[in-house]
Amino acid sequence: MRINGRNHLAWGASAVMSFSLLAATVGVADEKSKDNDAADAVKTESPIKHVIILIGENRGTDHTFGVYKPRGKHQTISNILSRGIVNEEGTPGPNFSLAQQFLVKPQPQYYIGAPKAAKAVYGSRGQMPQPNTNGAPIAQGDSGAPFVPAVLAQLATIDPSADFNPLTNTILTTGFTGLPANTVDTRIPNAGVLPNGPFVLQGANISDDDYTGDMTHRFYQAWQQSDCSVANATKANPTGCLNDLFPFVMATYDLSDNTVPAVQHNFSEGNEMGFYDAEQEQASTLKTLADRFALSDNFHQSFQGGTGANHFMLGTGDAGFWSDGNGNPITPPANQIANPNPAAGTTNKYTADNNFSNCSDFTQPGVAPIVKYLEALPYRPEPNCAEAHYYMLDNTNPGFYPNGFRAPSPAAQAMIPGSSVRTIGDALNEKKITWAYFGGSYNDAVALSNDAVTAGTAATLNSSTALGEAALADPAHALGVAYCQICNPFQYATSIMGNAAQRAAHIKDTVDLLADIQADTLPSVSFGKPDGLLDGHPSSSKIDLFEAYVQQVLDALDAHPKLKAETAVFVTWDEAGGYWDSGFIQPIDFFGDGPRVPLLALSEYSTGGTVNHTYADHVSLLKFIERNWKLKPLTDRSRDNLPVPKMRDDQPYVPKNMPALSDLFDMFDFDHPVKQPFLQ
Amino acid sequence: MLRKTSGQASTFLHLALLCSPGALAQSSPQSFSADIVSLDGGGARVGASAKLRAANRKTRIELPGAADGFFISDTDAGTALFVRSAQRIYLDARQSSPLTRIFVWVDPRDPCRQWQAAAETAGIVSTAEWRCEPIERASVNQRQVIEYRVFMPDGQSSYGWVDSTIGFPVKWQAADGNRFVLESILLDAQPANMFSIPSDYRKLDPQALLERIKHSDVWVDSPK
Repeated sequence: MRINGRNHLAWGASAVMSFSLLAATVGVADEKSKDNDAADAVKTESPIKHVIILIGENRGTDHTFGVYKPRGKHQTISNILSRGIVNEEGTPGPNFSLAQQFLVKPQPQYYIGAPKAAKAVYGSRGQMPQPNTNGAPIAQGDSGAPFVPAVLAQLATIDPSADFNPLTNTILTTGFTGLPANTVDTRIPNAGVLPNGPFVLQGANISDDDYTGDMTHRFYQAWQQSDCSVANATKANPTGCLNDLFPFVMATYDLSDNTVPAVQHNFSEGNEMGFYDAEQEQASTLKTLADRFALSDNFHQSFQGGTGANHFMLGTGDAGFWSDGNGNPITPPANQIANPNPAAGTTNKYTADNNFSNCSDFTQPGVAPIVKYLEALPYRPEPNCAEAHYYMLDNTNPGFYPNGFRAPSPAAQAMIPGSSVRTIGDALNEKKITWAYFGGSYNDAVALSNDAVTAGTAATLNSSTALGEAALADPAHALGVAYCQICNPFQYATSIMGNAAQRAAHIKDTVDLLADIQADTLPSVSFGKPDGLLDGHPSSSKIDLFEAYVQQVLDALDAHPKLKAETAVFVTWDEAGGYWDSGFIQPIDFFGDGPRVPLLALSEYSTGGTVNHTYADHVSLLKFIERNWKLKPLTDRSRDNLPVPKMRDDQPYVPKNMPALSDLFDMFDFDHPVKQPFLQ
Repeated sequence: MLRKTSGQASTFLHLALLCSPGALAQSSPQSFSADIVSLDGGGARVGASAKLRAANRKTRIELPGAADGFFISDTDAGTALFVRSAQRIYLDARQSSPLTRIFVWVDPRDPCRQWQAAAETAGIVSTAEWRCEPIERASVNQRQVIEYRVFMPDGQSSYGWVDSTIGFPVKWQAADGNRFVLESILLDAQPANMFSIPSDYRKLDPQALLERIKHSDVWVDSPK
């Protein structure tokens, strides 16, 4: 039996009466036999008949696997331990200065490669901006994580579609800071006097089970933090991205008064430089998976900045743009257009920290420095900015509510109009290959959306606000606010979200993913995203909560060996969340790539604790799907057209044929399957 | 049928007869249980039925989709709560289910007072008063009832059928024709503990959950 929370009655009694809760009826799952696994019959290039892509939030490669030693024979990894930046116990290593961070004197225009003469290294201990609690929870709460223990488990049963499970029930009660908001995070050893470089999130009062301060992770900030200039290029780093302005940009992009210490602002300060020590049992589930399966140490977030644009790229291989809802580009409202040029009299305060730019127009603020840098690279990547298109650079809610309701006034509601950009879902549909996006707390979000439509707020408010108001009125579905709208690339797409049959067939909840595994009805291609409490995002979640979500899915697969044998699970993250990373970056177009994020490939064909160095990003996951199920690139401008990298022996992280992206097939050895449990 | 009256005089006479003390057997609070059945505009059942228990001007509604969750409404206290007994928590029900705003103890002479109060308890605030107009005597599942037309502040009209012998609505028809109907009404004592919340239960507030989510990428602020 499973709860089918989407089976809501359609008949509201009146404008003030919604019927959603009554209609949450108990249904019986289809008891299909294993012979009914339709994906088995689809011809594939590899033995993989199912792929599951699980996406966490906001963790980088050095942040997660910076102190990790591969278990596979003769395997190497590029991280802060192997480079001598830190020691195995997380203390500064002999090459600690390779990670040192800089500040920059005021400049007249936005820049992504700071002039050398204007840079100065943060000096003595404590001068680099220090880690900050930011918005991390200060105490246990009755209704917000971390929960009072007596309260927690039940959000799951208040709403059976929620992601909560026995694994999360304990860790959702722990990890509050016990410190005031927006102060130096003194749980971190030596916080306040930390030297200029990365620091370990480990000590008597802090571990991977603690909430930590978040940091801004937006498009123009991320480019600026990467500090890319061809003038910095070397053989090992031919694109010249130094990654040395991380705390500086955070401390200045919204700072009006240069005389006020940034610590007095709601900034993330030096949180960018924090990392976990896998060799000291931090993020141990992820480490176990890396020990047994395959890890990429050259996998990247595909878009500089944040969640929405990276998930959009994951689903389309492209960037979204503001349109009339019918595929025609139009100019968004003025308050959506970015201007990262520094405001007069400030060090680096962005004039208008907004979400959209027309990057085909080099006169637009912020555009020229990036385009000029791309033009200066030896491989001269195209910006890929179509004329008059204002691209979505930062988080903007889709023009569709989770229930498919189309925002009638997207400009006024600050929701991007329905997108015509072709998705991997469209391509799979055309080939009749089954697929689904499983979003945590989606069923609740549908209920709240129904409430918002009934109340009329869906027609006037931004969907975050409208669902928030609905949650207060409909507490039994309050967890719907934790469903991530911007994480679902298909929620932007008119072809899917604007079509009730498509929506019903492909947009589902975590509970459906687990039920499909159990019933052996898993689609060929599945995307899994936990809700906002379990996604691992700093401040609102913890890395061990995402680990618990992953384990829940893997445990379900372990219980179904036949299905497991033909399934590849990819575990990755949407972006590094602002965390500093030491890895090489290959700029592909105006939008990215960005820093490394981990990618784990879990299957019987990707075992042995291997570490893959072939250059890849989110679009590589699309390329894997397209190769395995024999699909063509999505469009003539999508990144999945890029060739597979030819990697260099002397510089194993830099493709010879840039720009290039792996299709991830070389993470697998399809001739030598090895059966082993995922985690047990 | 009395629904169609031919003139003002007959209407007044009709209303007076419907609401006269003789017509309304004065109800004293009773205890009963029933099933709440949902019907669409064509009369077809929709989903499983909910369970209603009523006693001492309190009601308890158990929904089919919420395994051990239930609603408790107290007409006199002006409360409607959603309770999870296994987890020892409860929340303000607010607008989580319309049933808590329909199936409440009412004054058979003016049920709109209680329906309006229940709406206000759910957080639906309006300066306009709800107005009920008796339509006719009728029968619902062999029970003698008075049908009311309910004029709601949003301008829509619904219909409610009230059994004056128990002082409780037994049927509701929304503006779009969909209905809730009480079936299998069984007058019987109901255990008092089914309508109370133990003192060690904790109350949840979704506002705190919302505040935590605002620190994640799930929440998207509108531009300034």
